[in-house]
Amino acid sequence: MHSLVVESLNTGVLLIDSDYNLVYFNHFMRSHPALKRPDVLGKNIFEVFPELPKSWMTRKLQGVFMLDSPAFSSWEQRQFLFKMQHTRPITTNSEFMAQNISMLPIKSETGNSEVDHVCITVEDATDVYFYQEKLKLTLAELERSNRTDGLTQIANRRYWEERFNTAFLSAVRYQEELSLILFDLDKFKQINDTYGHQAGDKVLIESAALIQSMLRQHDVFGRYGGEEFAILLPNTQLQGAYELAERIRIAFANQVVNYKTDSIQATLSIGVVSYHSGIRNYDDMLTRADMALYQSKRCGRNKTTIYQAG
Amino acid sequence: MIEITITEEQRDCLQELINVAMGRASDKLARYLQTFVHLQVPHIELVSSAELPQTFAETYGDDNVTLLSQGFYGQDGISGETLLIYRADHTKNIAKILGYAPDEVSEMEQLTDISSILTTTFLNGLAEQIENQIAYSAPRVISSRETSIERHLQDLSFNWELALKVAISYQVTDYEFNCDMLLLIPGVAIENIQQVLNQILEEY
Repeated sequence: MHSLVVESLNTGVLLIDSDYNLVYFNHFMRSHPALKRPDVLGKNIFEVFPELPKSWMTRKLQGVFMLDSPAFSSWEQRQFLFKMQHTRPITTNSEFMAQNISMLPIKSETGNSEVDHVCITVEDATDVYFYQEKLKLTLAELERSNRTDGLTQIANRRYWEERFNTAFLSAVRYQEELSLILFDLDKFKQINDTYGHQAGDKVLIESAALIQSMLRQHDVFGRYGGEEFAILLPNTQLQGAYELAERIRIAFANQVVNYKTDSIQATLSIGVVSYHSGIRNYDDMLTRADMALYQSKRCGRNKTTIYQAG
Repeated sequence: MIEITITEEQRDCLQELINVAMGRASDKLARYLQTFVHLQVPHIELVSSAELPQTFAETYGDDNVTLLSQGFYGQDGISGETLLIYRADHTKNIAKILGYAPDEVSEMEQLTDISSILTTTFLNGLAEQIENQIAYSAPRVISSRETSIERHLQDLSFNWELALKVAISYQVTDYEFNCDMLLLIPGVAIENIQQVLNQILEEY
């Protein structure tokens, strides 16, 4: 009766002796291709299952025999020990069965104090594995969308400020160069009024893509307000930031955004500032960039201004 | 609120059982790991579920720690969890202690493997003396450097108020390894272990 139960369990069961030879396996294990051969009983498990991580598993099994205590392997650390198909090939995309394995000490005779066999159980954890992987992807996607501006797909204000704060603290602490470019689309309200809001959106989207393509990997580009954008430039001096701002200003002025039959052109007003010891906090630095930006507006727009103290 | 107190005799008796279990564990580990594992004198007390997160925060708050748990259950309603706590700077040589080839095993797997060995050898030693048999669940990583233990515990609402806590420190001087083990026997299981202790006390 007991053996019938073991045979029909929805869990793999194998029994090995102290030489690691296969003594028994139940029906569940029969789906393993290696067990289709007739002569596997009595053979060493590492010969029968060449996929087993031999040296690690031998050490674990030694522990089970010597310490008379169980050993485990979890899919979280090792997806599987026995390379097997699982039962949900249609509704999961995992190639092999994810497994939780237990190796249990067995004393075959009562009164015998020595462990002489090890029972290995194989639980199918493919479900858990699959949903855990999905959860990870979902969380990563959630994190991404949480810091992205929906329209332009660049950093949103909250995330940009977070990055700016970190970069600012690091600049202060390690005396690193740090520059900031703040810019605003000139007469954006007029674009919206003349061509419609959808045209305005398209200008924002294409402009963001154009500028993003001009940046280095570590620069952080964010949408600061409606038509106001900010670029954080780590390890960049004032001159470098100014040159980049000018390249952006010129490329932007030459850009033509086509919307339906209209060809839309626009310009930018830009403010540039670099970190120096007079700047107390990141708000301070932003304010200065903002002042330079408005200087550009006052001077007739389509212009880059460097913040000057005093 | 359940009123549970441990008498002086019960504590001494448990202390004695634990000392013997530690001796046996140390002996077995020395043979398997081929190095001397030093177990420090255990500390036994009752803790309430309300103060557990705080206790953890005070002891491990500032450290880079990883926490693993392994559940166990025996006969006569004796069950609980052991928590193994590792500080990052004392875990570099686990692969060597376990006799694994370098780069063969991930850091988390090294931790789960050694946790399981430390837990089961000690509890088996305890079980032998009270003629019990203990089964174990697989060890799991509960929190690592990214999520603090305190935060993890605060998210839980326990269905027990008191737990019997046995704290043991392990040390492997040859490999600059050490870790803490907390054996926690919560709720009704305390009374079950008290019964076992009373029986032993009566027999003497």
